[in-house]
Amino acid sequence: MLTEREIVSTLEMLKNEHLDVRTVTLGISLLDCASHDLDTFRSRVKEKITGVAKDLVRVCDEVGDKYGIPVINKRIAVSPVAVAAAPFSSEQMVSVALTLDEAAREVNVDFVGGFSALVEKGFANGDISLIEAIPEALAVTDRVCASVNVASTRAGINMDAVYLMGKIIKAAAEKTADKDGLACAKLCVFANIPEDIPFMAGAYLGIGEPDVVINVGVSGPGVVKKAIDRARNANPSLTLGDLSEIIKKTAFKVTRVGELIGREVADRLNVAFGVADLSLAPTPNVGDSVGEIFQSLGLASIGSPGSTAVLAMLNDAVKKGGAFASSYVGGLSGAFIPVSEDLNIAQAARDGFLSLEKLEAMTSVCSVGLDMVALPGDTPVETIAAIIADEMAIGVINKKTTAARLIPVPGKKAGEKACFGGLLGESTILPVMDKGSSEDFIRIGGRIPAPTQSLVN
Amino acid sequence: MNVQKKGKKIVISVLGTDRPGIVALVARHLFENGCNIEDVNQTRLQTELAAIFIVSIPDGLEAHGLRSLLQDALDPLGLHVLVKEMVTDERYVHNVEGEPFVVTTIGPDRLGLVAGITEVMADFGVNITNLRAVFRGGTDPARNIMIYEVDIPKDIDQERFRKALKDRAEALGIDLNLQHRKIFEEINRI
Repeated sequence: MLTEREIVSTLEMLKNEHLDVRTVTLGISLLDCASHDLDTFRSRVKEKITGVAKDLVRVCDEVGDKYGIPVINKRIAVSPVAVAAAPFSSEQMVSVALTLDEAAREVNVDFVGGFSALVEKGFANGDISLIEAIPEALAVTDRVCASVNVASTRAGINMDAVYLMGKIIKAAAEKTADKDGLACAKLCVFANIPEDIPFMAGAYLGIGEPDVVINVGVSGPGVVKKAIDRARNANPSLTLGDLSEIIKKTAFKVTRVGELIGREVADRLNVAFGVADLSLAPTPNVGDSVGEIFQSLGLASIGSPGSTAVLAMLNDAVKKGGAFASSYVGGLSGAFIPVSEDLNIAQAARDGFLSLEKLEAMTSVCSVGLDMVALPGDTPVETIAAIIADEMAIGVINKKTTAARLIPVPGKKAGEKACFGGLLGESTILPVMDKGSSEDFIRIGGRIPAPTQSLVN
Repeated sequence: MNVQKKGKKIVISVLGTDRPGIVALVARHLFENGCNIEDVNQTRLQTELAAIFIVSIPDGLEAHGLRSLLQDALDPLGLHVLVKEMVTDERYVHNVEGEPFVVTTIGPDRLGLVAGITEVMADFGVNITNLRAVFRGGTDPARNIMIYEVDIPKDIDQERFRKALKDRAEALGIDLNLQHRKIFEEINRI
C-alpha cells in the first residue's frame, strides 16, 4: 500500500512544480546509409528515420499518460552528418538537412540533432562542407539542429575552427535576421561534447553508440526550488549542507522519473536504453526556473556575488542524487543556465545583475556554458570567436563539457530585447566589452595545445 | 504453542470509537480460545476505528459462539462485532490479470463524488483495492483529495476507461489523475 505522503508529494511535483520529462531522444545511426550518390543517401536516411521513429511520438504519449508525467519533447539525434555524408559538397549538405527536416516532420518529432562535425584536431572534407552549410541549412529548415565540437581536453582547441564558427554564427544570424537570428538558437559550439546528449541543440549520436538508442532528459528546476523553499520555511536554520542534501534527494526523484519513462519507451520500441541526462532544464515559465533556485538559496538574483558558489553546490548535489538514482547517467547532467529560456535568468540580464563575464565565470562549474546568450548584432566575428575560445578553454582545462550558443541579433543593440518564441523564450541583449580588441589573437589561428594532465593547479 | 493453519476460517470485524487496548482485548480472547490470527488490518477515520481479522479457529469452536464471547467482552467499550464464516465465492475471485493504478481526485467536496467515480470503475470491472480521503477540504478545495488504488484488468479498453473517468470528473467539477502505481514507487522508494 502506498502512503498518503508518497502519493500527495508526487502529485505536488506534477501539478504545481512543473515536473516533466523534458525530452525523449531517439538516437539513430546513419552510418549504414552512407553512399557516394546524394539521392541514394537521402532516400536511405529518410527511410531509416521514418521507419525507426514512426512510433516514437505515440509511444512517448502512451507512456506519459500511463504514468501521468508528460513527455514535453520527442526528438531524434543522428550520427554526425559530416561523417555520414562526408563525400558531399556544402550545397549537397543543405539538401541533406532538408531531408532530415522532412523526416522529422513526417514522424512529428520536435527537433532532429546531428547536423554536426567534430573538428577538435582538424577538418576532414565532410567537416568543412557541413560547417559551411550550417547557416543556410538552419535557415531553410525548422527542426534541424547543428553542433560543432572544436576542442577537447586531449586535443586542445582548434582555433581555426573557433574562428570559422565565429563567421558561421554571424552568417546564420544574418540569414534569419527577420527572426532575431533564430538560426543561431539551433547551433552549439562545443568542447568535450558527449556522444549521448538528449538535449538540443547539441544532441547527436556518437560513433560509439548503438545503432538505435533512447536517451532521456529530465527536468525539474521547479521541484528543486519548491523543496528548498519548503525546507527553509519549516526550518530557517538549515545550513548549506542540509540544503545540499535536500537538492540531492530531489534530484534522485526527478532522475527516477526520467529513467522509468525512458526505459519503458525503449522497451516498447524494442531498442536499447542509453542514459538519463540529469540536467536541470528550465522553461520560460514562472516556477520552472533555475534562476529562481538562486533566490531560494538567499541571493537577490542569479548573477549576484555568490552565484558561482551556489551553482557549484547545485550542480554537485544534482549529480550526486542523479548518480544514485541511475546507473546510466550521461549527456550533460548538470544545471543549465540558458539566458532566454529561463524567465528568471532573462530578468536578471534585463536588470543588470548578469553580465557576459559573470555568466562565463559560472560556466566553469555547471553544464553547459554560454547558452542562448543574445549579443549585439554588430559584434565582430573575431569577438564572437574570442568569446567561444574563452568558453572552450574553460571546458578543456577543467576536463568538462562547455558550449557556446550565441546569438548576435541583427540590427539590435545591447539593452534591446530579442524574441525567439516558444521554449527558446526572449532575452535582453547583453553588452560585449572591448569590441574588436581580440582580432589579432583570433587571426593567428592554429591549435592551442592540449593541457598537461599532471600539473593541475 | 504451534500454529495450526488449517480448519475453518472466520472473518471478524470490530467497529467503534477508537481508544487504546481494543486490538489487545480482541487478540487476547482469540488467543485464549485457540484461534490463530492469519491476517489483520485496522484503520481509523476521525475518531472511529474499524478492524478486520481473518482467523483460523480450532475444531469445535463455532463462529456464533465466538461472536457472543467477543461481543460480551467488547460491549463495555461500546464496540460492535461482526463475525462470519469466510466463504470464497468463485464469481468474485479476482483472477483477471490486471495492473495496479492510482486514481486521485482533487477538488471541492460535494455529494455523489465517490459514487460518481466508483460507478465508472465498476462499469469497467476495475477493482478498488484501497480507498482514502486524504484531506478534509476546509477553505481550500484543492486540499480535498481522494485516493483510489485500483487494479485495472489488462483486457479492457484503457483509453476508453481513462476518457470515461476524465469525463465523469469534469462533470463533477474535480481534477482527476490516473497513474500507474510504479511511478509513486520509483520516486519514493529505493
